[in-house]
Amino acid sequence: MSHVSLEAFVAELDELRTEAERNLADATDAAALETARVSLLGAKSGRLKLAQRGLGQLAKADKPAGGKHFNAVKQAVDELFSAAQARITAAAAGPIAAAIDVTLPGEPIRLGRVHPLSQTIRRVAAIMGHLGFEVVDGPEVEDQWHNFEALAIPAEHPARDPLDNFYLSVASHAEPLLLRSQTSTVQIRVMERRSPPLRIVSLGRVYRPDTADATHYPMFHQVEGLLVEPGITMAHLKSVLRSFASSFLGGDVHVRFRPSFFPFTEPSVEVDMEWNGRWIEMGGAGMVDPAVLEAVGYDPDAVSGFAFGLGVERIAARRFGVADIRDFYRNDVRFLEQFSDRGQA
Amino acid sequence: MIVSLDWLGDYVDLPPVDELTERLLLAGLNHEATEAVGADTAVDLEVTSNRPDCLGHIGVAREIAVLYSRPLRIPAAELPEAAAKAAVAVEIEAGDICPYYSARVIRGVTIGPSPDWLVRRLATVGIASVNNVVDITNYVMFECGQPLHAFDLARLAGRRIVVRRARSGEPFVAINHKQYELTDEMCVIADGSRPVALAGVMGGADTEITPATTDVLLESAQFAPLPVRTAARRLVLGSPSSYRFERGPDPAAVDWASRRATALILELAGGQLDGPVVETGRLACRPATIRLRPARVAEVLGVAVPSERQREILQPLGFVEQHAGDEATDWLAPTWRRDCWREIDLVEEIARVEGYDRVPEDVAIAARPVQRSARERLARMVGEVCVAAGFCEAMTRSVVAEPLEAWGSPWGRTAALVCRPPLVRGADRLRRTLLPSLAEARAGSLAAGAAHGDLFEIARAYLQRPEASGAADSPVAEPLLLAAVTGGDFFKAKGLAAAVLRRLGLPESAAAALGDGLGQSAAAAVGYRPLGSDLFAAGRAAEIVLCRPELPERRIGVVGELAENLCEASGLTAPVAAIELRLDGLEFLADAEPERLPLSGLPAIDRDINLVVAESVPWAAVVAAIESVGCRELESIGLGDIWRDAERLGPDKKSLVVSLRLRSHEATLSADQANSLVADMVTACTRATGGVLRR
Repeated sequence: MSHVSLEAFVAELDELRTEAERNLADATDAAALETARVSLLGAKSGRLKLAQRGLGQLAKADKPAGGKHFNAVKQAVDELFSAAQARITAAAAGPIAAAIDVTLPGEPIRLGRVHPLSQTIRRVAAIMGHLGFEVVDGPEVEDQWHNFEALAIPAEHPARDPLDNFYLSVASHAEPLLLRSQTSTVQIRVMERRSPPLRIVSLGRVYRPDTADATHYPMFHQVEGLLVEPGITMAHLKSVLRSFASSFLGGDVHVRFRPSFFPFTEPSVEVDMEWNGRWIEMGGAGMVDPAVLEAVGYDPDAVSGFAFGLGVERIAARRFGVADIRDFYRNDVRFLEQFSDRGQA
Repeated sequence: MIVSLDWLGDYVDLPPVDELTERLLLAGLNHEATEAVGADTAVDLEVTSNRPDCLGHIGVAREIAVLYSRPLRIPAAELPEAAAKAAVAVEIEAGDICPYYSARVIRGVTIGPSPDWLVRRLATVGIASVNNVVDITNYVMFECGQPLHAFDLARLAGRRIVVRRARSGEPFVAINHKQYELTDEMCVIADGSRPVALAGVMGGADTEITPATTDVLLESAQFAPLPVRTAARRLVLGSPSSYRFERGPDPAAVDWASRRATALILELAGGQLDGPVVETGRLACRPATIRLRPARVAEVLGVAVPSERQREILQPLGFVEQHAGDEATDWLAPTWRRDCWREIDLVEEIARVEGYDRVPEDVAIAARPVQRSARERLARMVGEVCVAAGFCEAMTRSVVAEPLEAWGSPWGRTAALVCRPPLVRGADRLRRTLLPSLAEARAGSLAAGAAHGDLFEIARAYLQRPEASGAADSPVAEPLLLAAVTGGDFFKAKGLAAAVLRRLGLPESAAAALGDGLGQSAAAAVGYRPLGSDLFAAGRAAEIVLCRPELPERRIGVVGELAENLCEASGLTAPVAAIELRLDGLEFLADAEPERLPLSGLPAIDRDINLVVAESVPWAAVVAAIESVGCRELESIGLGDIWRDAERLGPDKKSLVVSLRLRSHEATLSADQANSLVADMVTACTRATGGVLRR
């Protein structure tokens, strides 16, 4: 007569114990429990009974160890059965009403939301922060020097037309002030105060008398970056914008420059980034015009720099699939609640 | 600028259109659209304001010639000799507006339709044909960018041209047969008696070319940009001519255009040239000589362009080499490129023709540590609390309508700034508080059917500094504010205010509320004091006052139930409570290290006392009295309940359930010790507030 090995015997018992744990723990009513009992503990053909027969087939030397293991498993299964039986009996004894309808709503916790434009601004600022750019702040009510002259926009320039700006009359001030038409004003203020090296991002509200439509609003947000250090070239500009675009869109994004014109940069370019196989407009950029560097007291032969500007509404509209930028200013909670910050900033 | 490919081909051999537009796009002429017009193709190119030279076909053709290294063909514009002097007089009274004016006279023309090629080319660029002479003036303008105007000489009173400022209120009927009233900011071309054209903008109806015209005076002149722009904008009368004068056509094209158009008139409308040009004034034309260091190109672009290649680019653009030295070359700019007068301008020319795709995109910049400013962090901290409390961030307009401004501001009494034009219809006041805007936003959200209208905003107010304040660098202060609106009463809003301030590390202090500074505490704290304000319902608002050691106390916030009439004006039906906090000046809180207090592991003892006080005694007075004992074991004071019963407590009395928690750091308190400590506190309350324990 051949012997069953001790290993096989132990393995079979262990498997039986695992199965018993699962079946007995899952049993939610008396019928399921009885089925499990017959299968495991049945006096005639229960699994445990069958396993006991295997004990007799062990080699004599293995019998004490096999017997010990068998008893341990039998005891464990008995305990599991008793526990399950107690649990089911208790549940059956209680009133049915005590069982909860788990599909009823939980106690609501209302979630607030950060405005999608704020989310966009934070994200841009965070990415620029990784590139060493510091967020700076400046007034929205500006004087003509910072909004125009220091930015190489002279008095007769069309950009200064009263119809193209929001001029203010201030009793205590001779020269008319205006709501800034660009955040470059902050760059001038920072450069007037500080010396290179300089890496800053100015962001905030700007104002231009456009008629509100799906892509225009007379108040909007700009992010403008400025870097001034010795030896800065357009290659640095392109590389920084490429880093930005790659971080913002994900993956390795290429950018391209198209020649353009802005009074305060020279050369000036429009920047496109490649997105889903298409070039999409990202914003304007260029090397800081030597006249601007001179206006703030820098030596254009000793330092150079670049500047770039992005329209926050445009980026946010594309990112969130918002067709009409006026929606950003309607403040309908149903709209605002759709924009969950995804932890990117 | 719309160009006709058929026309453009006169001046340069063209590559296939798609390739061409892509190349132009990357060289500075943005491609807007390509459209078939009959057998011709119209290409719409965006021309930046610094490039008026590209507002004519020849200028665009020059760009193509440079980009593709192809020859540029410019028509000759030669005229027959005409000896006798024409019998017209030209006079400039407004030399500042019109530095130069020229007239040519062609007699005996036959006005009629233009030949097909001319009609078609104008149609491609979007101009309807009028008659041969008018069409020629338009054609030459779209060819070289210099606007021209043709007058019917017989209708010019006194055969005279006077260029002068318009008189205020002077009437003028333009060729569109509408009458305009002029101002002295504008410049007119007058004859012996009246204006016959609005200089640089539009001709007059009285002297236009008609089928009856036989003698033509052809104007080609220079006008300053500003008066042209002013006239075009004020009268809403922009034209291809004003568009070009606003940007400055090529001075050298003034005479070329006159000759070219005259030659075409003689060819297509017949007639004879009457005398040489009649001109007056001096052509403003000062092309710059620019010193370029070839090495500078690489310093700006980050990629080298050999000096021979630089020359290959600049010469066909029209720059003339004056003097070449070892380290620098002098270049004379062409007359049509007044945007080029500095070295950096030449660098840009070289860059855009060479192509920015040559600029590397993988140059590293050194890492640099960055910190968020205290102000930025402060805004984040307070915004976080509002979001956690279930509020949505709103963004409302900085400029509001006058009625929304009428409630005043918690932040100052100076009048709101007014902007021109209004931001949107009717909204011309720079706001001094965010509250009315948020009330309006809440109303809009609720009316739209949103589940709630709990909104917050972090934005600026705009406050004129009082005139006496003097030294400030700007007459306008722009404090950063946090405001929030919610449905409910004062205490709902105060709960939010307290949470925000706790997040900033500012606890509420009874001493501060009572105007006793900081009392026992040495740390900054806030107190709430009754506030009267038009923004809030009477008796239902508080100001939040910040007290700091050694510093004068200061209002940093307001909280309350919005005034009923404000709610009504905003379209709100149910009561609204609101807060507004001034974040400027609180930056020190963003930098404060949190204070870590040791925790006691010993059990606490809670005791409630029922204190009956007069109705007029504020809760803060009770708290201050208890705190005045200076009990080190007092961990917290809470309000359990307020109970009023005139019969059992007496009139004008209230019973306060004060919950005290006592705990020692040294030893477990016994019941007797606790009783004794509480007794001291009750005594202090009785002494300070007249309150007694309720039996």
